[in-house]
Amino acid sequence: MVGISSIGIYVPRSRLDRALIGKAWGRKQPPGEKAVAHFDEDALTMAVAAALRCIGDGDAASIDGLFFASTSSPYREKQVASYVATACDLQRTILTADFGGSVRAGVSALSAAIRAVQSGAAKRVLVAVADCRPAEPEGDLEGVLGDAAVAVLVDAKGTLAAFDGAAAVAEEFTFQWRTDRGGPVQMQDARFSATHAYLRDLPEVIGRVLNERGLGTDQVAALAVGHPDARTAQDLAKAVGVDPKTQLVPSLSAAIGVTGSPDPLLLLGAAIERAKPGDAIVVGAFGEGAEALLFAAGEAAGPGACRPSLQSAIDDKLPLPTYEKYLKFRRILGQDDTPVEAVSNIAEHREMQQDTRLYGSRCAACGLVQYPQARVCLACKQREGLEPVKLRKRGTIFTYTMDHLAANLDHPMGMAVVDLDGGGRVYVQTTDAAPEAIQIGASVELTFRRLHAGGENYNYYWKARPA
Amino acid sequence: MSTSIRDQVAVIGVGCTKFGDLYDSTYEDQVCDAAFQAYADAKIDPSEIDAAYVGTYLPHSQGGKAGISLADPLRLYDRPVTRVENFCATGTDAFRNACLAIASGQHDIVLVVGSEKLKDRPGRGIPRIGHQILGKGNTAPGLFALAANRYMHEFGVTRSTLAKVAVKNHWNGKRNPLSHLRMEVTEEQVLNAPMIASPFGLFDCCPTTDGAAAAIVCRADIAKRFRDDYVLVKGAALAVATGRPYYDPTFDYLGFRSTQAAAKAAYAQAGIEPSDVDLAEVHDCFTWTEITNIEDLGFFEKGQGWKAVEEGKTRIDGSIPINPSGGLKSFGHPIGASGVRMIYECVKQLRGDCGERQVKDPEIALAHNVGGPGAVSCVVVLGRRD
Repeated sequence: MVGISSIGIYVPRSRLDRALIGKAWGRKQPPGEKAVAHFDEDALTMAVAAALRCIGDGDAASIDGLFFASTSSPYREKQVASYVATACDLQRTILTADFGGSVRAGVSALSAAIRAVQSGAAKRVLVAVADCRPAEPEGDLEGVLGDAAVAVLVDAKGTLAAFDGAAAVAEEFTFQWRTDRGGPVQMQDARFSATHAYLRDLPEVIGRVLNERGLGTDQVAALAVGHPDARTAQDLAKAVGVDPKTQLVPSLSAAIGVTGSPDPLLLLGAAIERAKPGDAIVVGAFGEGAEALLFAAGEAAGPGACRPSLQSAIDDKLPLPTYEKYLKFRRILGQDDTPVEAVSNIAEHREMQQDTRLYGSRCAACGLVQYPQARVCLACKQREGLEPVKLRKRGTIFTYTMDHLAANLDHPMGMAVVDLDGGGRVYVQTTDAAPEAIQIGASVELTFRRLHAGGENYNYYWKARPA
Repeated sequence: MSTSIRDQVAVIGVGCTKFGDLYDSTYEDQVCDAAFQAYADAKIDPSEIDAAYVGTYLPHSQGGKAGISLADPLRLYDRPVTRVENFCATGTDAFRNACLAIASGQHDIVLVVGSEKLKDRPGRGIPRIGHQILGKGNTAPGLFALAANRYMHEFGVTRSTLAKVAVKNHWNGKRNPLSHLRMEVTEEQVLNAPMIASPFGLFDCCPTTDGAAAAIVCRADIAKRFRDDYVLVKGAALAVATGRPYYDPTFDYLGFRSTQAAAKAAYAQAGIEPSDVDLAEVHDCFTWTEITNIEDLGFFEKGQGWKAVEEGKTRIDGSIPINPSGGLKSFGHPIGASGVRMIYECVKQLRGDCGERQVKDPEIALAHNVGGPGAVSCVVVLGRRD
């Protein structure tokens, strides 16, 4: 059965305690924390992180589609799906597309991936969904919005969840928006939006998809729906006719915030983690209409369905010490490092395999794995027989420094020499680390990050973070 | 088989500007001050100079990256003038090339000037160079710090030992009228200074400095025409290793092979052992660098140099005085000038002209630059004439 066979979850490590927002503005905030993308993260990098987790040690070569969904793509013009596919070292021949527009984009992309596999247009499609939506300081959404990513693999097996139906409505309704001028998320009157759109459109599509399969609401094991806030999700459950306590997948808003387009798919992951094979799971998303997808939990459903488990992704965190640090991380205060000249896109293109796909060279004569790619072997000095070799993204810090001279929004800048498992030594910035975590001998993983801006463009490369 | 450069070249004149924040002088002022001091020291007329080498690492306001950097301020025209750039070994490598020009028989008298104007540059003086993506975030202290942390981890060394290098070199530099940071510091001051790149605090780092130094070399057999107490070049060797040691999975980060190779070649040319050296000016861009240098140069076994610092063996009155001038740490480090400035100090020491910081009766002095870190190293051995 066509459906989902793998789920990768990525929650950025930084957390902002909402009490710090309350303290900054003298304004009561809901309890809990929100996940905050590091200053070097955006929807692209988080999508790569989730996609790599989704692929795991699996067969990347047979993935023939990648859809990226986000309302906060770092690019208005330039496809991110192909960038994510390249960073994940997928084949060049795959089908790619970006989805955006509203927070419905994640479910739309999943729906499109399912149709692509059903139609035979593709066999294995990775759907990478990430959001990092800007909130106005002191605004109503500041304490609400959080950042996260999720990636799901759709194939003909659907071992985690088999697709069982879909329904959609489309209708112009202005609830949350950002214009082409950028800026933070704007919001219409919340109560009006709930009663006249969210609590109307979603129950309609959920009702339709259940009716088409002849299922009653009592047969729904889990309802995983994106929501503007936890209370409205409860109202939705009641409007649909399911029990908010037992059938509604609990909101993640207290732990990481409302994450936008990945939210319904993170909740779907949570539902699959606690499902028994055969359980009916409804996933729904809202935005200028609504869409609902029905799944039947597969043989592999249950604990271990997501990589890592949603709870461990939530628990892997570093508190932001101050509200001001959050302002810097989200570039509300402070700028990138001093303006730098544009990176030559000619050189960048030439080095794609080395820099983005992260390949080094292996010497056929002596076996040494070396990086960057070599023309003559570092050890045996042979010119012939150097073959491209994909480097692993785990390793051990050989040496490091915490550099206070280098410009960095997360001061000071850690620089580490890392011996990668399987060979190759790289020299990279560190990130997502408490200062004492960067030590000789520490285990790290490589993570794809935004490096710096120059020439009105972004540059991405790998950094090391504590594993 | 190559022949040794030993005793074929003599240093007959040296000059050096005050090192420091020379906000009121230009690159050209510095070049002229150093060169004319050297002319006067050698009692030579500029018209007698056959060729010249200028060591300058960075572009400066008036000149391009060419021999005109030297020819224009000195009006030294219609002769070969070569500009040398080789990271922090720029100065000693310019000197080495001048020696080769004489030893080859091509020229009789050659001028060497090292000059750098770091304070005119925006930001922190030394621009980041290299790949635009790979290694982004590296700084000079950060690159040496990678090695220092590994060394300290391996041999159980603490920042307190590094600090003792700074204390010693500042003590020496206080006694040198030309030095940039002419002040003594205590170990506590060094340890409590703001962090620059762990494990280096502010006083573990040399300053960014303006300055120039000059030397005039000639065929040894004509040196007596200029002065009796000329100094002989015993050896001059350059070695280059990788500029990206952080990508070399075979590198242990405990020392620099470029220094080891250059030292071995220079000692062979000079026909001496490391123990024959009476004083050394070594490249202490950071406190730890001095420790690895004295091991890589063969004065101490690998992993023992830090103990020698603790035991005071590298002080002016120690068994092997290191950086009696104050070193880069106190004297300052105008990149291309530093190597020639070391030649200046060695010559002055061998002549016995160093007053309060004079090493007792030296016969052999060594100058050493390393840059990169570890990418390039140049070692020059000088000796008193017999």
